[in-house]
Amino acid sequence: MEKKDKDQLKSPMDRRDFLRTCSAFVAGGVAVASGGLLAAKASAKEGEVFWQIDPYKCTQCGRCETDCVLTVSAVKCFHANKVCGYCDLCGGYYRPNVKELNTAAENMMCPTGAITREFVEEPYFEYTIDEDLCTGCGKCVKGCTSFGNGSLFLQIDQEKCQQCNECAIARVCPSDAIQRVSNAHAYKLKDHA
Amino acid sequence: MRKTLTILIGIIYSFQAFAVARFPKPDFTSGYQYPNIVHSAPYELFWNILDVVLLVGMMGLVVWAAYRKRSRTIILSMSLVSVLYFGFFRSGCVCSVGSIQNVVTAAVSSDYHLPWYVLLVFLLPIVFALLFGRVFCSGVCPLGALQELVNVRNFRLSRAVSATLTMIPWVYLAFTILYAATRSQFLICRLDPFIGIFRLGGDLGVMSFGIVLLVMSLFIGRPFCQFLCPYGALLSVFSALSWKKLEMTDKGCINCALCSVSCPVDAIRPPQDSKTNEERKKGVKRIILFALLLPVFTLAGSVLVGSQSDALSLAHKDVYLYEMLLRQEAQPELEEPLEVETFHALGGDMEELKAKVDGIRSDYSFYAYLVGALIGFVIGFKLLKLSLKRGRKTYEIDMARCTLCGKCFNYCPQNQSTRYTISNRKTIKNEKTIS
Repeated sequence: MEKKDKDQLKSPMDRRDFLRTCSAFVAGGVAVASGGLLAAKASAKEGEVFWQIDPYKCTQCGRCETDCVLTVSAVKCFHANKVCGYCDLCGGYYRPNVKELNTAAENMMCPTGAITREFVEEPYFEYTIDEDLCTGCGKCVKGCTSFGNGSLFLQIDQEKCQQCNECAIARVCPSDAIQRVSNAHAYKLKDHA
Repeated sequence: MRKTLTILIGIIYSFQAFAVARFPKPDFTSGYQYPNIVHSAPYELFWNILDVVLLVGMMGLVVWAAYRKRSRTIILSMSLVSVLYFGFFRSGCVCSVGSIQNVVTAAVSSDYHLPWYVLLVFLLPIVFALLFGRVFCSGVCPLGALQELVNVRNFRLSRAVSATLTMIPWVYLAFTILYAATRSQFLICRLDPFIGIFRLGGDLGVMSFGIVLLVMSLFIGRPFCQFLCPYGALLSVFSALSWKKLEMTDKGCINCALCSVSCPVDAIRPPQDSKTNEERKKGVKRIILFALLLPVFTLAGSVLVGSQSDALSLAHKDVYLYEMLLRQEAQPELEEPLEVETFHALGGDMEELKAKVDGIRSDYSFYAYLVGALIGFVIGFKLLKLSLKRGRKTYEIDMARCTLCGKCFNYCPQNQSTRYTISNRKTIKNEKTIS
């Protein structure tokens, strides 16, 4: 207390305190100003924070399976039933040039058996993806886009996605198919096209 | 039927095309209905609101624990909550450290929309730092909290070494800004050493770096916070100017030096005379010299980093692709990388790419000069600061370095009188036996 009184006698504030207070106000001012400017930007539009694949840009290179931060990629194969041709000989289900159309493992395109099919009526089959088995390798998608209607496509499962600040797959995607999307457009589905 | 299909598919296979309705929509006669598949939507709002509320709440609690209660227990329990919630449960993203990049990107580009809560996650710790110091680092940041929880001993690095090492965060920050402003990559997210631990998996190199850091933090207080964290560097500026200053005790310092020994980040400065053996004139001359050196350093840093902008720009995906394409053109016998193959398969236009790359490169040259100047300025400023000598009567906390871990509170003998000491406990026991 004594020291303070003495200082106050000399001058109301010493040089060091003066400089400190000034720079504190400058720093505060900078923080408030930049905050205000950024807030104006932030409120302008809905934030785009989620990652999603544009299926029309995707080239099924296979990196989705290997580059996700998750051990089993958050990328899964989706199926647009309304685009599907319900073919018996499905390019996404069977490997090319199969001799017999049966479910033997060597005939199957999917390495994990995540695609199952059910007979609907002659000659149509309904295809279903088991997302828990799918690893997002995109082999079936490649088969379907090459041979068929392209009803199979890769999407990021938003429930599994960790929403990394920078998507590890987007960084290596050769066709720039992965972009940030808003919550309202969390999926880029093919049915709605 | 099957045979004709196979032939048909064989023909189609010869020219790959994208998503064409090759097969007509089937006419179902059995009354088949298309299945209704619902895809799980992300729960944006709820978790984001909870994150921000917890961030403010926990920072408030740390302020209360440090300034009012002087209790390390509360701060440690906050650390545990932070590691469990922000670290393991929310798996780290988005964090305040990484939010620098989103903010920089939003500041320089018009097509990037900064989400409101990312802005809050970035700004709130800065506001708290301006008021109370690095409260966020204390027990709220999961990265700091993780290191705090494993720390057992503190081997002190020499002042010279640690002063040199504290330059790294600034260089890191400068390059983060450079890469974020040119929209190349998010450096912090890529090199985050602890995210792999929180997610129980990730890039092997980065994860092992994280484990090395964690082992180091057993013996050195918070190596990441002290010598790497770019957000910590940013906070230290605001924290140095903070409104409130933390004190080890409210009962007056007795200059016992215990707090200074206990501090894991070497933030407690011992008392010293303001008088030195040196003549006043000499001191003033030195300060003027360093003040004049400041713009020289700034300029030198700017030129040094700026001259490397072309090499640095390879961090951008498009520039890298362009260089790969050029290399492929020069040596066509090399195996085509996937990127080059895809570029050609999608009918990429080399001229268009070149124009894009030129744009990116010009961005790079501008920002490289800018961040180079930042690095030079910080080095110059640190030297200037080191050349100043301040008198202190008692032990004082350097708010720029202090991470409010609360260790010194328990070490200070002045705090012990009202606390749980051996003599105290005995008297309490005696009182009990009497009653």
